[in-house]
Amino acid sequence: MKNFQQNLKALEATDTQVLGVSMDSAFANKAFADQIGVTFPLLSDWGGKTTRQYGIYKDEYQAPRRVNFLIGKDGKILEEQVDKDAIDPKKIVDTCQRPKLKN
Amino acid sequence: MRRIFRKILGAGLLAGTLAGMIATPLLAQEKKASPDSTMPKVGEMAPDFKLHYFDGNDLKDLSLSDYRGKKNVVLAFFIFAFTGG
Repeated sequence: MKNFQQNLKALEATDTQVLGVSMDSAFANKAFADQIGVTFPLLSDWGGKTTRQYGIYKDEYQAPRRVNFLIGKDGKILEEQVDKDAIDPKKIVDTCQRPKLKN
Repeated sequence: MRRIFRKILGAGLLAGTLAGMIATPLLAQEKKASPDSTMPKVGEMAPDFKLHYFDGNDLKDLSLSDYRGKKNVVLAFFIFAFTGG
């Protein structure tokens, strides 16, 4: 989440909203956000309904996998990054900076 | 009588072992394949959701559809609060 915070200005400049999601409570996520200096919302998927809808619930952790989805203004998925690849947001920032997404 | 019993037992054990040998890799494969097979793919519509977050004062609702036609959205799933990444 810190990595997205560091790139937040670049992402916001391309009309992109960053949202974190986990299965923790909303209050735990707020405390976590404050601790690491994250200013975008960290959503609470308590019970894991959304995590399951996105097909990334992992029995082993009883939690989501580390996955980023970049979703366009039309609601379609533009990019996915899974597990280790999901830690570096550079690819998402690059995609957002492509001219067609700025409109 | 004892012999017949032994034969039946032996056949049962053999069948059980064989069934186990066949079923184990099948089950393992199925388990491994499941997380990716249900992930929505690039180009598909992202499933809508309505989730809460705490802004410091209130619990707020937020839906993916709030951003339709307005903003791109990065949805970053993380495993647990207070962990890295």
